Amino acid sequence: MNPPRTMSQSLPNGMSQSMDGGTMMQRLGRPGRPVVVNQPERPLLARVADSIYWLGRYMERAEHVARLLVINSHLLMDAGELTPALVARQWRDLLQVVHLSPEVPGEGDFEARVTHYMVLDPDNPNSLISCITRARENARAIRSDISAEMWEAVNELYWSTRGPEVETLLRENPEGLYDSVVSASMRFQGITDQTLGHDQRWYFVGLGKYLERIDVTCRLLETRLAFLLEYDEQLERPIRNVHLMGALRMCCSIEAYRRQPNSQLELLPVAAFIVLERHHPRSVRFCVREARQAAQAMRQSTRGHTGAADETEKGLGRLEAQLEYADPKDILSAGMGSYIRKIRETADAAGAAVRKRYFLQ
Amino acid sequence: MFAPYEIPGIFDEMFETPGTPRPHYRDVYERLLALERDGLARRRRMADVSFRNQGITFTVYSESQNVERIFPFDLMPRIIPPQEWDVIERGLIQRITALNLFLEDAYGAQAILQEGLIPPRLVYGAKFFRREMIGLKVPHGIYVHICGTDLIRDADGRYLVLEDNGRSPSGVSYVLENRAVMKRVFPTLFARCRVRSVEEYPYNLLRTLRHAAPPGVDDPTVVVLTPGTFNSAYFEHSFLARQMGVELVEGRDLLVENSFVYMRTVAGLRRVDVIYRRIDDDFLDPLCFRPDSALGVAGLMNCYRTGHVTIVNAPGTGVADDKAIYPFVPDMIRFYLKQEPILDNVQTYICERPDDLAFVLDHLHELVVKSTNESGGYGMLMGHQASKAEREDFADKIRAHPRDFIAQPVVQLSQHPTQTDDGWRGRRVDLRPYILYGDEVRVMPGGLTRVALREGSLVVNSSQGGGSKDTWVLEAEEAAP
Repeated sequence: MNPPRTMSQSLPNGMSQSMDGGTMMQRLGRPGRPVVVNQPERPLLARVADSIYWLGRYMERAEHVARLLVINSHLLMDAGELTPALVARQWRDLLQVVHLSPEVPGEGDFEARVTHYMVLDPDNPNSLISCITRARENARAIRSDISAEMWEAVNELYWSTRGPEVETLLRENPEGLYDSVVSASMRFQGITDQTLGHDQRWYFVGLGKYLERIDVTCRLLETRLAFLLEYDEQLERPIRNVHLMGALRMCCSIEAYRRQPNSQLELLPVAAFIVLERHHPRSVRFCVREARQAAQAMRQSTRGHTGAADETEKGLGRLEAQLEYADPKDILSAGMGSYIRKIRETADAAGAAVRKRYFLQ
Repeated sequence: MFAPYEIPGIFDEMFETPGTPRPHYRDVYERLLALERDGLARRRRMADVSFRNQGITFTVYSESQNVERIFPFDLMPRIIPPQEWDVIERGLIQRITALNLFLEDAYGAQAILQEGLIPPRLVYGAKFFRREMIGLKVPHGIYVHICGTDLIRDADGRYLVLEDNGRSPSGVSYVLENRAVMKRVFPTLFARCRVRSVEEYPYNLLRTLRHAAPPGVDDPTVVVLTPGTFNSAYFEHSFLARQMGVELVEGRDLLVENSFVYMRTVAGLRRVDVIYRRIDDDFLDPLCFRPDSALGVAGLMNCYRTGHVTIVNAPGTGVADDKAIYPFVPDMIRFYLKQEPILDNVQTYICERPDDLAFVLDHLHELVVKSTNESGGYGMLMGHQASKAEREDFADKIRAHPRDFIAQPVVQLSQHPTQTDDGWRGRRVDLRPYILYGDEVRVMPGGLTRVALREGSLVVNSSQGGGSKDTWVLEAEEAAP
């Protein structure tokens, strides 16, 4: 054990002898002013809450877009000879996951067009650079309300995806580009956790993040399920496995899944894992729980602990209970696709209720 | 590196004669001389990257689109010795005091007009004279709480006031950020030079704003009001709010109820007591000024008149920094304070006066003509550089609206060694110190040194290709015990 460290040891030479406790206090604070900690929370502007929510959402969306792109290109390499129709289907599914219509502007090679559209097209609202630009615009509008580290992380990501170098990078080392976006988003989340007060602002950035993750994860599962069920007959076992592993990777869940005892690469257990796993931060259940907690904390911090749950909290709370006590069998009997779609719609309604309740109208 | 350095008959901040630095510059001179060009270029890139990553930018308005730019930063600091600073400081305190007394008078008893010291039509005709302010008592009689006065130096090195910016002077955030970057880039040099700190500015600003609170409000809620992210000075608005720990609001965040101002928060409405506004008078309140303004708050002026909220700086301060009123500031100092001005004005011709007008039109080729209601270097004529056609064109404008123009002899501005692609070269500089008027008057030691980066240019504005330098006011030598 270390000896106790006294005040005098921590002061520069000569200071400890000349100072008693009283003068010491005067040096440390302004005389006559009480030192107050744990003051009531600073008011959070409705406009700021709006921006911080969207900052969380757009950063999360950028990360998903980047990950979908990188995993999808791996998947296509591993899936062997595919018919052009199947390759196109694979890309169209991807567009659907991020709310885009399958019509991609331009002519020529579909794959190259989709890639450009998804990464660099400023007219595509969910392209990588659009997400990053919007994340930055939101961050810039609330710079005084987020930590300098958060702002700099977003701003650096923004500048690193501008300019002609990015086109070159996308041609020569697309994976490097995607990976840098994924890790910038992860870094942003870590920075947010460790530099922003865990107060109202943190609830809003978290709510944006988790609602976005629920949305993308559900859409991904819906399209993958539909695809695998439709092509069940035509896909040979190894290729099916490639698709299943791809789905797990797109949800950042392959390692967590493999850690499960007796984990089998089968469609239903994989989907059930992504929806119902208790501790994995990428599972729908985990995200719903986090979102519900954020919504509850927000309500309590704005209206005190006695207030009734609002629409957001109720919706997410019911969904949480449903997932918490779900039996995988129920999911199967209800039809997996529609079960997941309902989760997504509930989360969507919760997001709409947040905007209505808290943001500048 | 200083070999081909020239001093073309103007005051040089660093050198007495080429090769002989002034005593207070010796350390910096030796240290920067010792740096190879590569080392300098590397440090400059370090500074640029740091500015960009932190988003320390301003927006340039152009016809096609708005561009976000870094404010170019020059590594060679501008140094002011303590005895020089002492004079500047006293001169600025004297000036802000007189300007505030003038505003109280102009919107009150109008003694200075009755004495015939300032022609009333110049006051009433000023673009920023606000009738809404007549007869209104403002807390502590302070109108200009924050002032950024532009100083230049003539060929003899004498400091002259070029203009008082008493509305919403900007640039102070660059002073603080420049200082932070200098400390990172030249840590050892900085430590050796005993430079006075500027870091307490945000704290003093908050004190000033809190002091301005309506009577009876002990713990006022202060906000900074910005036009939004598209404004060229948005970075600064956000910076100051962050440094002071107060909310940065836009007009749409505020509303008026029962003649109090509130902001909309996630927990409902919160009352606001002091608004440090960074939008012009015209846009403050669509009910009172421009009805098409979406930037302001409907009913704000009414709350202000009721005394339920303080607007900082007060509306209508623009009459005091009007370019046609500026020539009378020395008279204000004599009239209100019974003192002689410590800092002189630049000689100014008021085109409103028939004699001055005739002189100006005859001597356009050697004068700088400025519009009295534009800022940022817009709407001026540099007579000695303009073509004959440009001068004639401008003469027509002056004849049509003499009230809108003043003229001054071309003051050369001092020069300062500045990094260029060809090594160190003399470039023209000015100085904008920031003055806060609250429970006492506080002058930030130093201020923003702006530098005209183009050779021979006298225009230092950031919108016209200007850059900036860190400004070091040195500590006074301690007297021997």
